[in-house]
Amino acid sequence: MLVTVAQAVVNGLLIGGIYALVSIGVTLIFGVVKIVNFAQGEFVMIGMYISYFLATYLGIDPLASLIVAMPLLFVVGVLLQHFLIRRVLGLGDMPQIFLTFALSLLLINVTLLLFTANYRTVQTSYTETSIHLGEVYVPVAKLIAFIVAMVLSGALWVFLHATDLGKAMRAAAQNPDVAMLMGINPDRVFCVAVGVSLALAGAAGCLLMPFYPAYPLVGQVFVLMAFVAVVFGTLGNVTGALIASLMMGVAESLGVQFVGADSGLIVVFMMLLLTLAFRPSGLFGGWTR
Amino acid sequence: MRLRRGTLWLGGLIVIVLALPLIVTSHFAIDIFIRVLLFAFIGVAWNLMGGYAKQLSLGHAAYFGLGAYTSTILLIRFDVSPWIGMLAGGIVATLASLPIGALCFRLRGPYFAISTIATAQVLMLLFLKFRDFAWGAEGTTMPNLGNAPLMMQFDAKSAYYYIALGMLALGLVITYAIERSWMGYYLVAVGEDEDAAEAIGVNAMRIKRQIYMISAFLTGMAGTFYVQYIYFIDPQTAFSFNISVEAALVSIVGGIGTLWGPVVGTVLLEATSALLQSWFGSSHGGVQLTVYSLILITVILWRPSGLLGVFTDAYERVVHAGRAHAREPTLDG
Amino acid sequence: MSASSRQALTLQRGRRDFLVRSTSAVLAAGALGIPRASRAAEPVNIGALYPTTGSFAQIGQGCVNAAKLAVQMVNDAGGIKSQGGAKLNLIVSDVQSDTTVTRTETDRLISGNKLSAIHGCFASALTLIASEVAERAKVPLLTGSSSDQLNKGRHYTFTPFARASQFAQAQLQMAKLVSELPKVAVLFENTAFGTSTSNGLREQAAGEGAEIVLFEPYSAGLTDASPLINKVKSSGANMLFPVSYLNDLILIIRGIKQVDLKIAVNGGSGGFVIPDFYKNVGDLAEGLLGVAHWNHDINTDAQRVNAVFQKQYGEFLFEYAGGLVAQTFMIADALERAGSADPEKVRDAIAALDVSQGYAAMCPGGRVKFGPDGKNIYAHPVGVQWQHADLATVFPKEDARASLIKI
Repeated sequence: MLVTVAQAVVNGLLIGGIYALVSIGVTLIFGVVKIVNFAQGEFVMIGMYISYFLATYLGIDPLASLIVAMPLLFVVGVLLQHFLIRRVLGLGDMPQIFLTFALSLLLINVTLLLFTANYRTVQTSYTETSIHLGEVYVPVAKLIAFIVAMVLSGALWVFLHATDLGKAMRAAAQNPDVAMLMGINPDRVFCVAVGVSLALAGAAGCLLMPFYPAYPLVGQVFVLMAFVAVVFGTLGNVTGALIASLMMGVAESLGVQFVGADSGLIVVFMMLLLTLAFRPSGLFGGWTR
Repeated sequence: MRLRRGTLWLGGLIVIVLALPLIVTSHFAIDIFIRVLLFAFIGVAWNLMGGYAKQLSLGHAAYFGLGAYTSTILLIRFDVSPWIGMLAGGIVATLASLPIGALCFRLRGPYFAISTIATAQVLMLLFLKFRDFAWGAEGTTMPNLGNAPLMMQFDAKSAYYYIALGMLALGLVITYAIERSWMGYYLVAVGEDEDAAEAIGVNAMRIKRQIYMISAFLTGMAGTFYVQYIYFIDPQTAFSFNISVEAALVSIVGGIGTLWGPVVGTVLLEATSALLQSWFGSSHGGVQLTVYSLILITVILWRPSGLLGVFTDAYERVVHAGRAHAREPTLDG
Repeated sequence: MSASSRQALTLQRGRRDFLVRSTSAVLAAGALGIPRASRAAEPVNIGALYPTTGSFAQIGQGCVNAAKLAVQMVNDAGGIKSQGGAKLNLIVSDVQSDTTVTRTETDRLISGNKLSAIHGCFASALTLIASEVAERAKVPLLTGSSSDQLNKGRHYTFTPFARASQFAQAQLQMAKLVSELPKVAVLFENTAFGTSTSNGLREQAAGEGAEIVLFEPYSAGLTDASPLINKVKSSGANMLFPVSYLNDLILIIRGIKQVDLKIAVNGGSGGFVIPDFYKNVGDLAEGLLGVAHWNHDINTDAQRVNAVFQKQYGEFLFEYAGGLVAQTFMIADALERAGSADPEKVRDAIAALDVSQGYAAMCPGGRVKFGPDGKNIYAHPVGVQWQHADLATVFPKEDARASLIKI
């Protein structure tokens, strides 16, 4: 029994790392730019396809493809903010919601058009191997994904708290008008925020590729959990998103073990609804960190 | 003079629309018309909430599905005619909108949208589980009653066309009536600035609740019609996210918060879809939704108030081409 | 993006274009009713409804390929001799993996052409709708879909192959080949496909001497299969029946390996018994069991068709596609006896079908005869096993073409 619980906790933490990368991206954009990016999952999907093609046609290991995917998606993020998102800021709810929503639809269907609905998998030497912690199995591919996810989250935290640009970002998030008065260019800050966010999504994709199949709708699978984690962890709170993601991963895993696998989704949705309705500020209250 | 001409146009349109199934006999074409009428109707229902009151729901499939299941359960379990089932479905949907609204109206903007998505998903998941009463995940087909007008089953496809047309007319009349009533003014006020509206004494929660009930009722009716038309129901079809999306899409593209917006939007999008189908042989390989999303992005960036404005502007320009006086620039664009 | 990946993308696009164009060509040919090199008789129209786009696209396309091959085979053998050597004319329609489209496309197919019979649609929900439309339009429909609902209250739907409940029974019986006291864990996705199959398993387990130690529905589209695998492990099961779509199957099979779980797996039918499964899972598939209503090694006819198909398309002829080849010949046989292309007469001829040789009888057991409810009274599924990157029939004894490899 103890082994089962320990295994469940390990499983939950490992996948929680991936949720964290996605949810941090969502919460970062929300905190700084103040819009909900409905297309975040699709950038994870793009990261997976980039990784897939590099692996299949150039033999590059998916983890190495991080070096390609992250900068690429950073640039995409900058372009996205500068040319699209910027145009709908301040225009009200409808354009802000439906722009990223339409983007999500567009990305999914262009991928479907180009690459069909077939599942793409990559086989690496570590896809099925595990290391042993006593009787608990820790799959290597997921462990690597977790470690890299934590490193990237840590790097982001350092960036936000210890660099000028990061601090400027937090300032713009907390009070855009004052930030502008202090000489911070909001658009530049927003571009970096969106760029970093999409880079993290792309990283999640690359980290998933060794053990997860890629297909056009794959982003939708992860984005749901990510959104719930964002809400729990307080919108705009990066650390909160990270902690909430790990908690959700573990809760999901234990829930499957001791309650039931399909009730899980209903419970997740209900938790989302109730949190939104009764404690919309999430578990950590407060503002952007 | 202009008013009479407008009425003439409307009259002409009504005649054409009424006569269409008699002129066009291709089953395929009539199917397209039915689809246009049905989704225009759902769009009109959505528009009451999303267009006038600016409550952007992405979970209207919840009411669609509830309406569909109510009438189907009444039909198959209790032999009740779907005509009555349609009304019952609308009522069930309306009743459901109360607790859902109570929960979701605490939220604004994107959070409201997310919460509506979640509600529709929860309903789908629940109906996937309800095997005994509601056939669970496998769904069921409608019993084959042949030509049974009293049970909403017809051999003649044009019958479905006229029902859908009737529903759309109902939706438009209701919208028109609301637009011109006190409720319409309050709706717009709440939509523009809820806090300001509250400040001048408008009970925003009550208005939102009321319009949600109407919107849900109409959407529930559409659900009944749909399953009678395709002879089949299952949770994934009835609570499909695509229906929620299309309801919002046609209104936004056509003219959010306007009477004819959803109709214009549906005609445009369906015409595009039919064109794509004839070019590419299929619209489901991603082509249709790719084009739809591009249209949506274009509308959002260029004409957020919807394309209806483009048409009325063009009409104005054509009609007033001869006039020499300067015109005020439009606020759009 | 590098040159070789661009090339690969272009290749993919090229192949897709070709598929679109060839499908359009068939559609066009069908619409024009171009007769196939026959002077004497009017061609007979058969409709084929498959999802060549959308989520089932890959399987749907394979089915369409097989359908065209089957029609070609019938025509090369002389067509319908009782109707002056009339050739079969295949009219394909894409149901786009969508319920509404199935409704309108079936209608369009029937109302726009004089059809003698139809076959389709792979996915149960789609087939149910198509059969409703066909029933009301009084056109006979043959299908390999296993949903038991297809045999309720219909006169025009015929199912030559095993039913969902029979699959379950076969899986349970196969469990006993692997272990004396099978302790079974059933993991199933909670929509139509998963629920109908798993219910069959639950109802029949005790009767077959198997104990179900875990019966776990889950929502398709897993982010992670390890919690489920963990649960399977802690249940003490020695046999796993996953009823899932391919994406989840991949995660489940890999998940089993990741925790070194020694458990026999019977993945049922559907996504488990198509070439794509092996492509994605690699040698993890070796030794995995499945069930199918048709396999390419059940008799020499099947092997012959498979060889032709494999040469043309590079993959073995999978369950649904092979089954529909047989269905095409059943329709041809009915047309012969009916002596007319009238759908009502063809329907009656299908109902009177009784064959035990030739391609029309190419199914497990080698006999087809329809009962009053449209079911083939001899239909039964076969158990298959992935052996050396191919599917071999291993169960029941009468149908086995290879021995079960114990892993």
